[in-house]
Amino acid sequence: MVLQLLIAAVVGIGLGIFLQKGRFCFVHAFRDLFAFKDSRVTKGVLAATTITMLFWSIAYELGHYQKFWTPGWGLTGLIGGFIFGVGMTYAGGCASGTLYRAGQGYLHFWLTLVSMGIGYTVFTLLFPTLQTVYFDPLTFGEGLSLFTVSPVPAPMLALLVTVGVVLVYSTVVGREQRNGTVDQTVATDGGRRTSATVAGFQSLVHGTRQYVRGFTEIDNWVAASKRPWNPITAALGITVLAALWFTQVSIVGVTGPEARWTGYLLKQAGLDSGSYTYWGSVLFKGEGVNITVDMIMITAVIIGAFIAAYWSGDFSIRVPKRRRIPNAVGGGLLMGAGSRLAPGCNIGNIYSGLAELSIHSFIATIGIVAGVYVMTHWIYRDIGCAV
Amino acid sequence: MTGPSLDDVTDSPDELDDETATQLVKEAAEVQDMTGEVCPYPQVEAKKAVQQLDEGALLVQETDHVPSTENVPRAVGDDAEAKVWRSGNGLYRIYLWKQ
Repeated sequence: MVLQLLIAAVVGIGLGIFLQKGRFCFVHAFRDLFAFKDSRVTKGVLAATTITMLFWSIAYELGHYQKFWTPGWGLTGLIGGFIFGVGMTYAGGCASGTLYRAGQGYLHFWLTLVSMGIGYTVFTLLFPTLQTVYFDPLTFGEGLSLFTVSPVPAPMLALLVTVGVVLVYSTVVGREQRNGTVDQTVATDGGRRTSATVAGFQSLVHGTRQYVRGFTEIDNWVAASKRPWNPITAALGITVLAALWFTQVSIVGVTGPEARWTGYLLKQAGLDSGSYTYWGSVLFKGEGVNITVDMIMITAVIIGAFIAAYWSGDFSIRVPKRRRIPNAVGGGLLMGAGSRLAPGCNIGNIYSGLAELSIHSFIATIGIVAGVYVMTHWIYRDIGCAV
Repeated sequence: MTGPSLDDVTDSPDELDDETATQLVKEAAEVQDMTGEVCPYPQVEAKKAVQQLDEGALLVQETDHVPSTENVPRAVGDDAEAKVWRSGNGLYRIYLWKQ
């Protein structure tokens, strides 16, 4: 138990530091891609998810893992994910983004956290009804991870998916590059056009080399640590911590532990939260409303983010403008409710869920990204979006 | 603007020293107070304001939202040249010269 608490502290503080330093935000990753084709953080998310999948597949194959998180699949992922996506775009931060910015001193995101708590509570009160009118009719099948049903060994499957991701990525990048510099491409290969995939792959290799070489050029590590870090560095750090967490506790989730915190805090306030079906038998699995190790982990994320922000000179108490209160409150409520309706947030579904190849998470990811897309177009309605 | 390779992820605008930063605020055509605002509103407001400016005119955004120092220059793209000033205690200014 002491060891588990120690691991929770290390993983949580580490995640907080990497999220804050890499400004690793899933709203940023998709919103800015749609709004003005900025793909820096999107690449970080893609790298983190793919490399985590490789690590986890190996841990699974060797039996060094605790458990998968595989809710039943159906339209719930699409609907709940969409509501969550709209909520996180309106609030200005995803589930993990809200946590690390709370640690950075944003009162806006503390308000979002409280609103998410209200969202979890409302959902819990409505759960018995939702079970019959929403979950039962809209869930089509048992949730599962492709790792468990694939005829090829999990690491082989993960490798195949990675090759697929790299091919698609290279093709997209190669095409964009060609559109940007048509004349140059023709000139360098003597009029013979290399395929977009090859060009994109070369650019990926070149970029990776540049990235690694960047470290050799750092002469003052203390000063460099205070500057913003490359999202790829954050992605690699998060991957290592997620691998540790997977072998010791579970997959990385944020809103599940937050919903447990809500039940726990309400119990401290005098409510018999364990008597509600959702808290009692779903979230706490009938083991009583007590602090669990993943609740400690996500709390440590806030502490890690505070340490990183303080070290970098980025910490300050930020008071939101009055006109942004609806964003914090409304976005938080939608995120809280949406993450339960899906179920799962951006971290549970886009990061962990895709990395464990869960059927449910593929559907929920589509829902979340669609929600971000629609909301981004609404927020940018005056100036327009690129995509 | 968006380059195809991984190396472009570290691009962030040049930083200004304290003295230049203070001097430039006096010369600005418009100063936007974006403290207390979070993404993407600083980007939206910057894009709107830059569209109104004359060529060469300076827009300054004061913000306490760290990601804005990178996102706002990205959002305006080629419409403006960007520089950033960091106070060291969580306050930043983004300088945008209309091109």
